[in-house]
Amino acid sequence: MKTKLSLFKKILSDFYLVIILIFLYAPIFTMMVLSFNTSKSRTQWGGFTLGWYSQMLSDPNILSALYNTLLIAFVSALIACILGTAAAIAINSMKPVSRTIVMGITNIPMLNADIVTGISLMLAFIAFGISLGFKTILIAHITFNIPYVILSVMPKLKQTDKSTYEAAMDLGASPIYAFFKVVFPDILPGVLSGFLLAFTMSLDDFIITHFTRGAGINTLSTLIYSQVRRGIQPSMYALSTVIFLAVLILLLITNYRPKQKKVLPGADSSSLAAGSGPEKEGPGIYSKLQKAAMGAAAVLIVAAVGFVSIKNYSLKHSDKLYVYNWGDYIDQEVIELFEEETGIQVTYDMFETNEEMYPVIEAGAVTYDVVCPSDYMIQKMIENDMLAEINFDNVPNIDQIGPEYMEMSRSFDPQNKYSVPYCWGTVGILYNTKRLEELGVDPPDSWMDLWDPALKGEILMQDSVRDAFMVALKGLGYSMNTTNLDELTQAKDLLIAQKPLVQAYVIDQVRDKMIGGEAAVGVIYSGEMLYIQEEVKNLGLDYSLEYVVPKEGTNLWIDSWVIPANAQNKENAEKWINFLCRPDIALRNFEYITYSTPNQGAFDLLDPEIQENKAVFPDMKSLTNSEVYRYLGDEDDQVYNELWKEVKSY
Amino acid sequence: MSKKLLAGPYLLWMIGFTIIPLALIVYYGFTDRSGAFTLENILAIATAEHAKALWLSLALSLTATVVCLLLAFPLAMVLRSRGRGAGGVIVFIFILPMWMNFLLRTLAWQTLLEKNGVINGILSALHLPSQNLINTPGAIVLGMVYNFLPFMVLPIYNVLSKIDDNTINAARDLGANSLQTFLYVLLPLSVPGIISGITMVFVPALTTFVISSLLGGSKILLIGNVIEQEFTRGSNWNLGSGLSLVMMVFILLSMAMLAKYDKNGEGSTF
Amino acid sequence: MNQPLIDLQHISKSFDGTMVLDDLCLTVKENSFVTLLGPSGCGKTTTLRIIGGFESPDQGKVLFDGQDITHLPPNKRQLNTVFQKYALFTHMTIAENIAFGLKIKNKSKSYIQDKIRYALKLVNLEGYENRSVDSLSGGQQQRIAIARAIVNEPRLLLLDEPLGALDLKLRQDMQYELIRLKNELGITFIYVTHDQEEALTMSDTIVVMNQGYIQQMGTPESIYNEPENAFVADFIGDSNIVPGIMIRDELVEIFGAKFACVDKGFGNNTPVDVVIRPEDIDLVEPGQGTLSGVVTHLIFKGVHYEMEVTTPDGFEWLVHSTDLFPVGQKVDIHVDPFDIQIMNKPASEDEEAIGVNE
Repeated sequence: MKTKLSLFKKILSDFYLVIILIFLYAPIFTMMVLSFNTSKSRTQWGGFTLGWYSQMLSDPNILSALYNTLLIAFVSALIACILGTAAAIAINSMKPVSRTIVMGITNIPMLNADIVTGISLMLAFIAFGISLGFKTILIAHITFNIPYVILSVMPKLKQTDKSTYEAAMDLGASPIYAFFKVVFPDILPGVLSGFLLAFTMSLDDFIITHFTRGAGINTLSTLIYSQVRRGIQPSMYALSTVIFLAVLILLLITNYRPKQKKVLPGADSSSLAAGSGPEKEGPGIYSKLQKAAMGAAAVLIVAAVGFVSIKNYSLKHSDKLYVYNWGDYIDQEVIELFEEETGIQVTYDMFETNEEMYPVIEAGAVTYDVVCPSDYMIQKMIENDMLAEINFDNVPNIDQIGPEYMEMSRSFDPQNKYSVPYCWGTVGILYNTKRLEELGVDPPDSWMDLWDPALKGEILMQDSVRDAFMVALKGLGYSMNTTNLDELTQAKDLLIAQKPLVQAYVIDQVRDKMIGGEAAVGVIYSGEMLYIQEEVKNLGLDYSLEYVVPKEGTNLWIDSWVIPANAQNKENAEKWINFLCRPDIALRNFEYITYSTPNQGAFDLLDPEIQENKAVFPDMKSLTNSEVYRYLGDEDDQVYNELWKEVKSY
Repeated sequence: MSKKLLAGPYLLWMIGFTIIPLALIVYYGFTDRSGAFTLENILAIATAEHAKALWLSLALSLTATVVCLLLAFPLAMVLRSRGRGAGGVIVFIFILPMWMNFLLRTLAWQTLLEKNGVINGILSALHLPSQNLINTPGAIVLGMVYNFLPFMVLPIYNVLSKIDDNTINAARDLGANSLQTFLYVLLPLSVPGIISGITMVFVPALTTFVISSLLGGSKILLIGNVIEQEFTRGSNWNLGSGLSLVMMVFILLSMAMLAKYDKNGEGSTF
Repeated sequence: MNQPLIDLQHISKSFDGTMVLDDLCLTVKENSFVTLLGPSGCGKTTTLRIIGGFESPDQGKVLFDGQDITHLPPNKRQLNTVFQKYALFTHMTIAENIAFGLKIKNKSKSYIQDKIRYALKLVNLEGYENRSVDSLSGGQQQRIAIARAIVNEPRLLLLDEPLGALDLKLRQDMQYELIRLKNELGITFIYVTHDQEEALTMSDTIVVMNQGYIQQMGTPESIYNEPENAFVADFIGDSNIVPGIMIRDELVEIFGAKFACVDKGFGNNTPVDVVIRPEDIDLVEPGQGTLSGVVTHLIFKGVHYEMEVTTPDGFEWLVHSTDLFPVGQKVDIHVDPFDIQIMNKPASEDEEAIGVNE
C-alpha cells in the first residue's frame, strides 16, 4: 500500500529526471536533426536529405580524423591502463608518506586546467625538439588518462584481500601467476572502468589535442574546430549521429538483462562504470550475448583501424608534400587530382587564423612545404627570413594570374619573389534589407553606419584585431595600417563605444548567422557572397542579403601560396602552386570556395553573370581608397593586440 | 620491494610529461622574450583587461558550479533511490552525451539559443516574447553547466550510493524528519563527493575558452581566452605562461579552501 | 498492568511477489524481553522493520499502546532501533552521535551533556566523547549504537541482530550487558537473532519464526523442553527426532522398543514424532536399558562427551554424557519418561515443508 506522499515524490522525481534528460539530450537531438538538413545553415531547414551521410563516407578528412580519434583513444587508454594499473599496485604497497607524494603527482593532471596541461606539453615538446604529430597527441592523451585509471583501480585494490594473494603463493603460485590469477580478476572491474573512462575522456578532448597536434593530423575535435571558421559541414553531424547511435546500441545490449529479484536498496554500490560493466552476473544466455556484443565491437574497431592503416600504407609514396591551408579552402577533388597526376602524396593540414599558423611555422616543430597565409603575414614572414624564393621556372602557369593582382602583391612582396596569389577579396557590410526596413534604418554605405544606435544587438563584427580596427580606422578616415597611437586610441574608443550595439564578434559565422536572419548587418568577406546569394535563393527566404563596400574604402586582401624556408620538398611545392594556377583547376576551386580568383584564365571561363557580380569581382576603380594590410612589426602588433584586448574585455 | 618498482615507468612518465612541462611554464612565466628574469608577466594580471577577464571567469565559473551543485544533488538523490540496477543505467545515460563531440554539443546550443533558434521558435509558437539568449553571460554559464554537469552528478551519486540505508533509517528512528535527516546526515556524509564535484566543475569552467567564444559571441573575454590568444594569436608565450601561473594559483587556493572540508580525503569521482 | 505495548494484527508483507510475512499476529507486553528467532529469510527482520516504521505492511495494523501507528513515519514513533551494522554517523564524534536524537528534540545543552555522560557510563565507555567512530572496535561501536538509542528514553527498543558481527567472548559479555541494561532501564526489548543460544540466554519470551509464520511462542524453557514441531525442536538446540507410534497414553514405541512417557491425548497407535535431547539420554550397561546399540563416534567437548550410538535400525543417536563409553562398546539407551517429548506428525506436505526446510 503506497502512501499518497511517496507516490507524489515518485512523480516529482520522475519529472525531474525527464527535465534533466531533455536538457542533456536537446542539443544532441538538434544535431541529429541537422544531419538530415539539406541546407548547411544551422538555423534554416532546407529539406530532408541523406546526402551528408554519403558525403561523410567519402570524405577522407573525416574518415582519417575518425580513425585518428579512435586509434588515439584506444591506444592511449590501453597504455594508460598498463602504466596506471602497475602504478596503482605499487602505490598501494607504499608507505603513507611516499604514497601521499605520488598521489599528489597523480592529481596534478586532474586538477590542472586542460589549457595549462596542453600548453605545458606543447612547450616541452618544442623545447625537446619532438616534432608535433600523432605521437605527441598520443603522449598527451596518455598523460591525462593515467590518473583516471589509477583512481579507478585504487579503490578495488584496497578492497582486495591481501591474504588471497598470499594464499595463492602458499599454494605454489609464482608471484606473477598469483597476480594474474588471483589479484587481477579482483581489480579487473576497476581496470575496465578506468579504460572506459580514459577512452571517453580521450574521445572528448579538444583543448589538449589542440595544442599538441601537428602537421597533417586531425582528430574529430580539431577537425570540427577548424571548420567552425567557415561553418560546420553537416557531415560532421551525420558522423556524430552514427557514433551516438552505435554507442547507444552497444550500451543497450550490454546492459540488457532479464528482470531479476530486486536488490534491496543499501546493497553497496560500486563505481559507476563498473556498476554497469561486465562484473555483473554469472554465466547465462544474456551474459553470453553481452560478451558476443563486446567482442563484435572490439573486432569491428580493430578491423576498421586495420583497414584504414592498410589503406594508408598502400598509399605511401616516396614523393610527399605537406600543405598548410585555411580550413575548407580547397576543393577536395583538386587534391586528389594533383595526387593522381603527379604521384605525390599530399598531407593536408588546416589553420584557422594567420596568427595561429605563424608560430607553427616559426617553431619548425612541423615542416610544411607550402602554406597559404594572407598579405601582411607574408610580409612578416619575409622580413623574418622564413620564406624561400619561388623558382618560377617551375611555375609556368604564373602567366594566368592577372597582372593587377601581381601588382597588388607588391605591397607585401615588393619583388613578387615569394608569393603566388590564390584568392582575393574585399571586406564589406552585409545587410538584411527587410530587417533594416523594420528597424527604419537606411541601407549602409559607410562604416560609421555601424554605430547607429538603432542597430543595437543587430551588428556582427569580425573577431580579429586588424579587421576590427580596420572598420574603426577607415570610419575615422585614417589608414588601416596606421601606427599612430593617437589614431589607434581614437579607433579603440570608437570600438568600445560600439560594443553595446554588437551582437557578437565572430569570424566566419557571419555567413550562417546572416542567412539565419540572426542580425541586420555584419562585416563580412566578399568571397562568401556567391554562397549566400545561392543559399537565400535555395531556402526561399523572404528577405534578401546585400553586400556593400563602404565609401571610405576597405581592406583589399590577398591570400597567396608561399614556400617556407625550411620546406623539405620545395620542387613538389612548386608543382603544387603551378597546378593550382592551371585555369581549369583554379575554376574548380573558385566554384567550391567562391572567393574571388586572381586567375585570369579561370575568370574567362566563368558565366558572364558571375563575371559581372560586383560583390565578387568589384571594379578596381571603386577600390581606390582601399588598402592591403601591411605587417607593422612586432611592437606595433603588440600595441594593436593590447588595444584590442581592452576593447574585448571592456 | 619489487612491487614498488612497478611505479617506475609511471613516475618517469609523470616527470617527463607533467613535472617538466609545468616547470617550463614556470620558466616562461618568469622570463621575458630575451630570457631574462622578470615579474612583468605575473604582474600583468593587474592590468584592467586581465583583471576583468579573471574576475569574470571567477564569477561565471562559480555561478556554473553552484548551478551544477543545485541540479546535481537532487538528481543524485533520485538516482540513489532508484537502487543499484536502475541507477547504473541512468548513470550511463549521463555519460552518453560525452560521446558526442564536445564542440558539436556546444555548437548545437548555439542553434537552440539563437535569436531565430529552436527555443525562441517554441516561445513564438506559444505567443510568448522572444528572448535574447545567445551571446550573454547566461549562455556561457549554461554551456558550462551543460558540459560539466556529469562531473558533478557522478561523484555525488557515488558517495550517496555508498551510504547505508540504515544510517538514514537510524536518523529517522532517532526522531529526525526528512529535512533534518538531509541536513544533518545525508549532506555531511556526501561532502567528499560534493568537493570532488566542485573541483571537477570549477577548474574546467574557470579555464575554458571554447564555451565562451562559441556561446558568448566573443564579447565576453575570459581568462582562458586571454591565455589561449597569447599562445595562438598574440604569440607572447611568456605573458601566456605568466597568466597561466596566476590562474593556477587561484585554482590551488580554491582547492586549499575546499580541502578543509574534506578531512578524510574520501572524495572519489569514479 | 502488563497491557500489550505492541500489537501486530494480521500483518502481511511481500517483496516482488515473494510472501515474507503471512497474516502474522503478535503481541508484546510492556517491560518484556521478546526475541524473534529464526533462520535468515524467516521474516523476523521484516517484522522488526515494520514495527520500526521502515517498511509498511501490505495488510494489517500495528498498534502501539493501543494506538494505530501503521502509517506513522519512524521519527514520530516512541521507539528506537539498534541496527545490525550499528549505522553510526561516521561524520560525527561519539558524543555527537549520542546527542543526535536529543538535539532533534531541542533538549537543553546541559541536559544533553548529562545524558551523554550517563549513557556512556551505562555502556562502560566513559571518556569516549570526542573519539571518532572509526577509532572504535566493533563491540564499542555496538555499545555506542545502544547508547545512542537509549538516551531518547524510548518505551520500546528494537535490536536487529546487534551482536551478529562480534566474536564469541564479546558476544557473551554483551548479552549480560543487555540484560543488565534492560533491568536498569525498564524498557521493552524486541530482539532479532538467528542464534538460539542468545535467544535462550536473554529472553523472557521467544518467538520462533520460519517462512513468514510464527512456529512457536513461549518462555525459553517451554520452547526448549516442549517444542511443538520438528522445526522448533531442530532449530533450538541439538535433538534426536525419531518417528514413533503412540501406542496409548504414556507409552510410545520407537524402533520396536517401548518407552514410557508422560504425554497423553494422542489416541492409540498414532504415528508421532518423538524428540529426545542428547543430554537426556542415559547410556547404561547392555540389558539394563530400553534400546541397545553400539558407540560409533566419540568427541571430548570439555563439559561432556559427545557420542553417537547406532542402533540396529541404523539410526545414529546423539548423546551428551559426562561418562565415557569408548567406541565399539555395546550400550543400552535409557530415557526418563519426562524427557520424552511427543509431537504430532505434520498434517500435510505443506506443513512438512515448513518444518524441514531451512
